[in-house]
Amino acid sequence: MTLDAKIPGGAIVEKWDRHKFEMKLVNPANKRKYTIIVVGTGLAGASAAASLGELGYNVLNVCIHDSPRRAHSIAAQGGINAAKNYQNDGDSAYRLFYDTVKGGDYRSREANVYRLAQLSVNIIDQCVAQGVPFAREYGGLLDNRSFGGAQVSRTFYARGQTGQQLLLGAYQSLMRQVHAKTVTMFTRREMLDLVIVDGKARGIVARNLTTGEIERYAGDAVILATGGYGTCYYLSTNAVNSNVTAAWRAHKRGALFANPCFTQIHPTCIPVSGDHQSKLTLMSESLRNDGRVWVPKQKGDTRRPEQIPEAERDYYLERKYPSFGNLVPRDVASRNAKQVCDDGQGVGDSGLAVYLDFKDAINRLGVDVIREKYGNLFQMYHKITDEDAYTVPMRIYPAMHYAMGGLWVDYNLMSTVPGLHVLGEANFSDHGANRLGASALMQGLADGYFVIPYTIGHYLASAPLPKVTTDHAAFKEAADNVQGRITKLLSVKGSRGIREIHRELGRIMWDDVGMARTEASLSRALQAIPKLRDEFWQSVSVPGTPDNLNQSLEYAGRVADYLEFAELLALDALERRESCGGHFREESQTPEGEALRDDANFTYVAAWEFTGVGRKPEVHKEPLTFEEVHPTQRSYK
Amino acid sequence: MRLTLKIWRQAGPTVAGRLVEYIEDHVSPDMSFLEMLDVVNEGLIKKGEDAIAFDSDCREGICGMCSLVVNGVPHGPDRGTTVCQLHMRRFKDGDTITIEPWRAAAFPVVKDLVVDRGAFDRIIAAGGYVSFNCGGAPDGNAIPIPKDIADVAMDSAACIGCGACVAACKNASAHLFMSAKISQLALLPQGQPERYRRVTAMVAQADAEGFGSCSNEGECEAVCPKEIPISNIARMTREYVKAALTASK
Amino acid sequence: MASRSGVFSSSVGTKIVIGITGFALFLYLLIHIAGNLMVFFGPAFFNRYAYVLESNPLLPLVELGLLAVFLIHVYKTLRMFLSNQDARPKAYAVKRPAGNPSRKTFASSTMIVSGLWLLVFIVIHVKAFRYGTEYEWPAGGRDLYRQEMENLSNPLMVAFYILSMTVVGSHLFHGIASAVQSLGLNHPKWTPRVLLAGKIVAALIAVGFMIIAAWVYMNQPGTGRVHV
Repeated sequence: MTLDAKIPGGAIVEKWDRHKFEMKLVNPANKRKYTIIVVGTGLAGASAAASLGELGYNVLNVCIHDSPRRAHSIAAQGGINAAKNYQNDGDSAYRLFYDTVKGGDYRSREANVYRLAQLSVNIIDQCVAQGVPFAREYGGLLDNRSFGGAQVSRTFYARGQTGQQLLLGAYQSLMRQVHAKTVTMFTRREMLDLVIVDGKARGIVARNLTTGEIERYAGDAVILATGGYGTCYYLSTNAVNSNVTAAWRAHKRGALFANPCFTQIHPTCIPVSGDHQSKLTLMSESLRNDGRVWVPKQKGDTRRPEQIPEAERDYYLERKYPSFGNLVPRDVASRNAKQVCDDGQGVGDSGLAVYLDFKDAINRLGVDVIREKYGNLFQMYHKITDEDAYTVPMRIYPAMHYAMGGLWVDYNLMSTVPGLHVLGEANFSDHGANRLGASALMQGLADGYFVIPYTIGHYLASAPLPKVTTDHAAFKEAADNVQGRITKLLSVKGSRGIREIHRELGRIMWDDVGMARTEASLSRALQAIPKLRDEFWQSVSVPGTPDNLNQSLEYAGRVADYLEFAELLALDALERRESCGGHFREESQTPEGEALRDDANFTYVAAWEFTGVGRKPEVHKEPLTFEEVHPTQRSYK
Repeated sequence: MRLTLKIWRQAGPTVAGRLVEYIEDHVSPDMSFLEMLDVVNEGLIKKGEDAIAFDSDCREGICGMCSLVVNGVPHGPDRGTTVCQLHMRRFKDGDTITIEPWRAAAFPVVKDLVVDRGAFDRIIAAGGYVSFNCGGAPDGNAIPIPKDIADVAMDSAACIGCGACVAACKNASAHLFMSAKISQLALLPQGQPERYRRVTAMVAQADAEGFGSCSNEGECEAVCPKEIPISNIARMTREYVKAALTASK
Repeated sequence: MASRSGVFSSSVGTKIVIGITGFALFLYLLIHIAGNLMVFFGPAFFNRYAYVLESNPLLPLVELGLLAVFLIHVYKTLRMFLSNQDARPKAYAVKRPAGNPSRKTFASSTMIVSGLWLLVFIVIHVKAFRYGTEYEWPAGGRDLYRQEMENLSNPLMVAFYILSMTVVGSHLFHGIASAVQSLGLNHPKWTPRVLLAGKIVAALIAVGFMIIAAWVYMNQPGTGRVHV
């Protein structure tokens, strides 16, 4: 199989415009004759379903929650980037593009990233028009802040709830289309298989989570916007229902999975407090704008933070990276936190935390300014830890946060299965090996509002799509497959808890496939995961029946998929014998301990083809070329 | 900590439910309320018993999915807190805790502690948006919006759609929920063209869903995890009156 | 657009109607208590006041209006109460007030009870004063003073009156503030003051009527009790 990214010709600044013109259009009168299935209602899914509905397509939208508004995009706090240059500080689409390619450590596709930067400005306009209450200045214009290592202020925000406000904007547009009957909404449905007819994605099989019915949905194209696979690590900042199932099942049907080892560990999360913990809470990265990160210089120092004099504190980010200081990219900040904790300088009961101190900022700006900026975050921190961050420094630790990897897609966001399009975090496309802060919201909305409405039209207008109904043998086969797996899960009747096994998988992933990976740790994981998978299928206990709401059954199905997927993630990490972005191989580092890329051998996208559970997947390589931004060693010194 | 839990168990929407008592010994004060329920469920699952169904997702207080009435108060005793952010240090060893689902005709029980809040989606679908097709938006800075107006709109927009307001209200009224969205869009210039159509349509939809009216007690505001004030309801009333007075047909 | 008649039957319109009628009844009560206080100035003054009031040709119209307002208030609240009951068919096993900043009080929780009580009270009250035994007052009109003295000579009746005035106070304690909110009036600075003022006025009205009833009972002519 050769991977054709279908990147349009021409200079980078005109590729998208040219492509928009060259793509085929669907006649307005014919749009309603096409049915498009959208899975997921996060930023990407909701914006896609709403926009396609507005264009007149017949959209079937499926989500696992009780309402489309619950999707985990809602939890994004910090903001959304756009190259508006409202601050007159030298920003441009080209600079945003440049920063994103560099931030992604030269493992993303230039053409996609440029398009993303170009569309970023339209997203802000679109959202303002929807009534998204972005933060404003006294003059009434939109406010911006600098975020996550950017040297220009291009981040738009709505308090600490930017994701919520953007998602609600998309959700409202979606509900408008539901009202207009162009979109039919199916809530509490979980996609469990992809249906392929004559080589094209023509439908899905989903379980109705309330009745247990196995339902078939047929259409002319399928869009997956099902998010990332962070909960493969058990503890992550993802929602507890976030999962890889839809993407994994599509992968098993032939969609290649790209760069699964590119995972992002977020540096500012609230540390783990015990075994019972079900998720980790992120504190917006914007905190690093005013907070100073430090640990005691002395190992195993058990004094309270206020008892440690200035001279005995190690502000390690400021020391090592004088020009970026506390604002280094996420992967750098995370890895350094791990390093100081591994060196015994960690704080808190577990020793797995560093301080994020606001004392200087409060002295400089006053407590009111800090409260205005971060009040809700400090409140959240207080609720969880029972500590007042205005008086004692916060304790933070990195946590699994975002998946840069995902299903492989071409420039049109179509996977290797014709008709199957993948948007948002579920695809691999734009962030390379590391995502910059405030870029996830941008990508989800760019994909949904401004890319897919064009590219899917091109697909529909180009491909012959004879009518397919859910009676087709392929639907029956997929439904039987789904049914078989459910029956199998319920018939194990073992004694081990699902969560217990998931937790164990998470421990393997965090310890051996986490922030610092080695040949040995990855090999160890590759042995442990199949063993745990076998154990799962022999001893898991899934109570209840399949014919009603059975959250244990849902959860077990997701964990079962993670037990297959985790192996791919670890394998990809093993085979990528270089460090880049969030993927850090200890064997490949500079003398200063920075990630050292191996551009000669690894400037490619690793897209994996499924060959069977427990069988080694086949890798296909999409070479990456950099015509605009020339790879250099990233330096934030 | 050792707790006695009285939890509503109901196998399905059409069968009767009842409070079932569970004793849980392994509760740590650092657990969130839902993590405590996870522990109870882990015990049940190991015994092969049907786990207690309850909704949750983000577990950081923003998705609005979790929905438990704890000792007679939606989301439990802490102000401005969803039940996923409520921590067990708020309770004492030996406490008895009663856990029930949201109760309202418009929120039928699906199973145990899970209810169907589709009615909220239908209220939004009736008019809780700006009718604006993607593409062709004017520049984001084309219309300046005074900061104080934008801030009040954001206060209203903070609603997470959890339904605690309905659960707390003696009339199971959805007035706080819809007034928050109506307020947000009535305050912003983008919401003006549909301002009156919106309030009329959303109120009509809420009534059709079977939510009750408002007795101005403000229990909704007191349990709202985002502390959305009932001044929004007053604003909705004003919008409604203006809509009625300016109706074109 | 909803039709104009539909406007008043929606959950928001119902509130507005109840708020307006409730507020009108509250205003009437203010006039009522002002008039009743004149009883302290003796029979001549009191009956003169009553005569001036009752000889106004517009009075029947005003009375009809008041009756209409009252009936609408009763009808709409009963309708609302019943549909609110339908909105929660299954009650909680345990339900507690949520506390600050909720305005829930004993008074707010018992509006339907206090309201129904007042309905009964008003029927008895109007029957006694509007359609009871009348005596002529030589200077014109009826001897309302004597009528009041006689109506409030029975200790059971006085007790019923005083109790009912507590109920009035309770109804107004929530009702005044509630009407203000129902009419869409909410201001960050003024609302808390209006809420407080509403409670104080509610208490003053209740206590005022109680004092009148008690004073009348204590000042019965020919009972040996002091008569001013």
